[in-house]
Amino acid sequence: MELQAVLMAAGGGSRMMDLTYNTPKPLLPVGNRPLIWYPLNLLERVGFEGKHSVISENKPSKVSLKVKMISTTDILVVSCDLITDVALHEVVDLFRAHNATLSMLMSKVHEFTETVPGQKGKKKAGEQRDFVGVDVTGKRLLFMANEADLEEGLVLRKSIMRKHPRMLIKTGLLDAHLYCLKRSVVDFLVHNKSVTSIRGELVPYLVRKQFSKSLNSKNATEDTEKNQKQQDAHHNLELLSTSKEEALLQLARERSCWNDHRGDMSEAYHGGKLRCYVHIMEEGMCYRVNTLAAYIEANRVVPKLFEDPPIHPTAVVSERSLVGSDSIIGPICQISEKTSIKRSNVGTSSTIKEKVKITNSIIMNGVTIEEGCNIQGSVICNNAVIGRGADMKYCLVGSGQRIEPEAERTNEVIVGSDQLMEI
Amino acid sequence: MKSITCYLFNSEFQTIYRVTFHFSHQALLPLANVSMIDYTLEFLTSTGVQETFVFCCWMASKIKEHLQKSKWCRPTSPNVVHVITSDLYRSLGDVLRDVDTKALVRSDFLLVYGDVVSNIDISQALQEHKQRRNMDKNVSVMTMIVKESPPGHKTRCEDDDIIIAMDGKSKRILHYQRAQALKRLHFPMNIFHSGSDEFEIRFDLLDCHISICSPQVAELFTDNFDYQTKNDFVRGLLVNEEILGNQIHMHVTKDGYGARVSNLLMYDTVSSDTIRRWVYPITPEANFADQEGQSCTHSRHNVYRETGVSLGHGSQMEENVLIGRNTMIGANCTISNTVIGANCVIGDNVTLDRAYIWNRVHIADDVKVKQSVICDNVEVKHRVVLNEQCVLAYNVVVGPDITLPEGTVLSMHHPDEEDDEDDDEFLSDDNDVGYRKDKTKQKGINGDTMFPGLVLNADPESDSESEVSEGSHDLGSHPASPELDDVKVFQNEVHGTLQRGLDENISCDNLVLEINSLKYAYNISLKEVMQILIRVVLEFPFHQQGAQISTAQYSSHLLPLLKKWAPVFKNYVKRPQDQLDCLASMEGVFLERETHWAALVKVLMSMYQLEILEEEGIMHWFNQGSTTDKSQQLRRNQGLLKFIQWLQEAEESSEGDE
Repeated sequence: MELQAVLMAAGGGSRMMDLTYNTPKPLLPVGNRPLIWYPLNLLERVGFEGKHSVISENKPSKVSLKVKMISTTDILVVSCDLITDVALHEVVDLFRAHNATLSMLMSKVHEFTETVPGQKGKKKAGEQRDFVGVDVTGKRLLFMANEADLEEGLVLRKSIMRKHPRMLIKTGLLDAHLYCLKRSVVDFLVHNKSVTSIRGELVPYLVRKQFSKSLNSKNATEDTEKNQKQQDAHHNLELLSTSKEEALLQLARERSCWNDHRGDMSEAYHGGKLRCYVHIMEEGMCYRVNTLAAYIEANRVVPKLFEDPPIHPTAVVSERSLVGSDSIIGPICQISEKTSIKRSNVGTSSTIKEKVKITNSIIMNGVTIEEGCNIQGSVICNNAVIGRGADMKYCLVGSGQRIEPEAERTNEVIVGSDQLMEI
Repeated sequence: MKSITCYLFNSEFQTIYRVTFHFSHQALLPLANVSMIDYTLEFLTSTGVQETFVFCCWMASKIKEHLQKSKWCRPTSPNVVHVITSDLYRSLGDVLRDVDTKALVRSDFLLVYGDVVSNIDISQALQEHKQRRNMDKNVSVMTMIVKESPPGHKTRCEDDDIIIAMDGKSKRILHYQRAQALKRLHFPMNIFHSGSDEFEIRFDLLDCHISICSPQVAELFTDNFDYQTKNDFVRGLLVNEEILGNQIHMHVTKDGYGARVSNLLMYDTVSSDTIRRWVYPITPEANFADQEGQSCTHSRHNVYRETGVSLGHGSQMEENVLIGRNTMIGANCTISNTVIGANCVIGDNVTLDRAYIWNRVHIADDVKVKQSVICDNVEVKHRVVLNEQCVLAYNVVVGPDITLPEGTVLSMHHPDEEDDEDDDEFLSDDNDVGYRKDKTKQKGINGDTMFPGLVLNADPESDSESEVSEGSHDLGSHPASPELDDVKVFQNEVHGTLQRGLDENISCDNLVLEINSLKYAYNISLKEVMQILIRVVLEFPFHQQGAQISTAQYSSHLLPLLKKWAPVFKNYVKRPQDQLDCLASMEGVFLERETHWAALVKVLMSMYQLEILEEEGIMHWFNQGSTTDKSQQLRRNQGLLKFIQWLQEAEESSEGDE
């Protein structure tokens, strides 16, 4: 197999603790499927067979060690919280066509329109943006930085501009955390234990490294006396030397009149050995379920992807209830009469009693909702019980919580006290 | 009705023109045997301009004369040309302020430099400009026309490298910077706060120096009296965008030709492009200037011949050759990529490649010329070889049997002379090889600032050199490259001023005046002025006598200078802090020249006696903790210790007196 898929599933979901404190993030139900099903499905769709390595370590160096043990090919790293309908070949094609060191997937950031439980007011717009610089084709990744690191302004070397005289700087892009990485990068990671994050450290490093000369770095680091530095330099070199092309490829490029740029006469890629590419999705769906807002949005959108019947055959739905076509009902559910469900997902073996009105909500597994409840824009986690006649608007009810009858809650996060202690 | 006005303004041209072509105006220099001003006017007329104002200061009468004879002043001309002259037009700013005062324009106008050669169709840009003006009244004040030409393109020269950051959608310019001397390009963060999520940073653009301006531009120049150039204007507007709310947009053209003949490199490029027909329909055989006898024939391989050309037996015009009328070429010559003017005589066995030969030039037998410019009335005697990038200015006579090294400039006119001096005396001795200046010699003193554009060819090698050096950048090592920031330029200027002061015996008061004006011109702080002054003076003998002079020679040269310029120093060194800065700067200079440490004492002594430095200052400096080993070493110098001791004793004795 050309690429070994590596699924990173160790994330704790630290940005949506209310949901994940007793359900591991990969198992959160999205459209009545566990979150991890989506990346696995993505891989399966394009024909990845056999085992995918589901890694539950959170340090890239440890991960890379394991990866090294199980495979000898280039790797495709996918985060477990990615839901996308991207044509995966676009990313892999870039990787193959340019013999790239790294190719990655990005998409336009989505504006979340739904109201998020427990969130006071609109989220401030002035979030820290990522600046992504691509060349004129929009494929080659030239620059990457977060606004937070750019207080002094954006600085570019003129030599880069000379090679890529027209650079598009894009903001408002979402990194899908899907990377194709060369084998040599895995080896590099094994040796560089200091790298703790692919997104935060490895990718920016590779992007920068594209434009530094291997020879120079060698000469300059020879003089440094510190052991640490030498070691680093050694591994840097290894990274570069392992990405040296085979002789045949070299020959093919020399003989070919193909070039990746216009305007000057230098060789393809300007002789650079390290190349990073990015595929930016212009349309289609791409979510990273790492915040509550994204989770809710994903739940709303995902049902459209399936061709399954919205109501599971094993679910018992009263004929006198009203279930909108934009809702899905999981297996062994019981929906009693005079109940209306609109734009909502109801998970496995949940029980919904009479005269309940559910709109815009996510009901996870094993939830019991007593008679006469009105639930709007809320997330009800596993095994929660909502008391009779409760009125819940824009609330998040944690796992196993009980809401007393006739309660009226608006815009609240209701979780157990034990969980609060944990935070 | 379109009342578009154009400004050809001609005083800001570069030094090289002033040095070499002292006898003519830049706008009148022949480019492919047609005056440059005609190209510009032809371009303007073809874009539909109906009225053109030509502003000139330098040699105004000659330009006027030329225009009166040209087709532009005929009654049938679709473009009415007015010539406005004044000695006060020293910069674009002066011209536009005058436009505002005289209220010459009331609607959008086109601003063009007098040396633009172009065939760009600006109608689309005009339309866009108008649309923007209609949508948002008085917000967009200027649309700059830029041409896409990636680095390495022929029409780019290092001088004109610009980096532009723009909004991806609205084409609004957010950041504009000349990138010539920069290794790193810096973009302030606030330009990315415009609400757009897509920006473009472009290094592949060439400013054609054609801009569509609204009448506000002239007003803005009046309001901001410190704007001198278009660069000032654009930078000023962008910086103050939030306050003034004015925006600048740009229009990128992909085809079409537009370049400004701002220096010799561009002269070379544009000439060859014209002959190779890139500026079609402006081609040599079109005779667009409609001058009698200028018509020529165009044959294969872009060989153009005007009337009355005679070609000797066995001579070959290989390709891209333009030969002016009544020129005689001897036998067995090889000519390629060359322009020859009218009434020239060229001998036998002459090889010309990329030569630009103007009118009435005599070239004797067996001469070889490569990539050089030869001005009017030059005589090149036999067996002379001109290597690349030579310039022979008016009336020069060279030879026989001389090989001129690369980059030689020969002129009858001393380059350091004041412009307004009379040239006649230099014209008299026609038959001498005039002042001969070797670029490499000159480099040590003035660097390249004197002659930006002397290099005809910003050769790819220099490009690749910088590439290599840039490779080491992420390691933080900056190679000492000829980066010319303001401080450096200022230092050169101060040096020039002092040199002139010495040569012409200018009084110290006037020197101070000149240095002060330079200070404002380059925006240098007072502290830097003093430090640079010290540095320049201390290094003066090296420049005059060469870097290898002995310490004794050095001090014997320097001390009289110090004495002479003591009032200048006193003007800048006043407070105790000034003294410390001054001493620190001195230390810096001497640290660079270890062999001359012995002279430091003499300098200090002399400065002390001239009452520029006081003993407290010197003592304070000496006792100050030195940071580096070397400066500590300097302080342990025998002579210096003695001097300090002497100072201490003098101090004590003076205290004893009281």
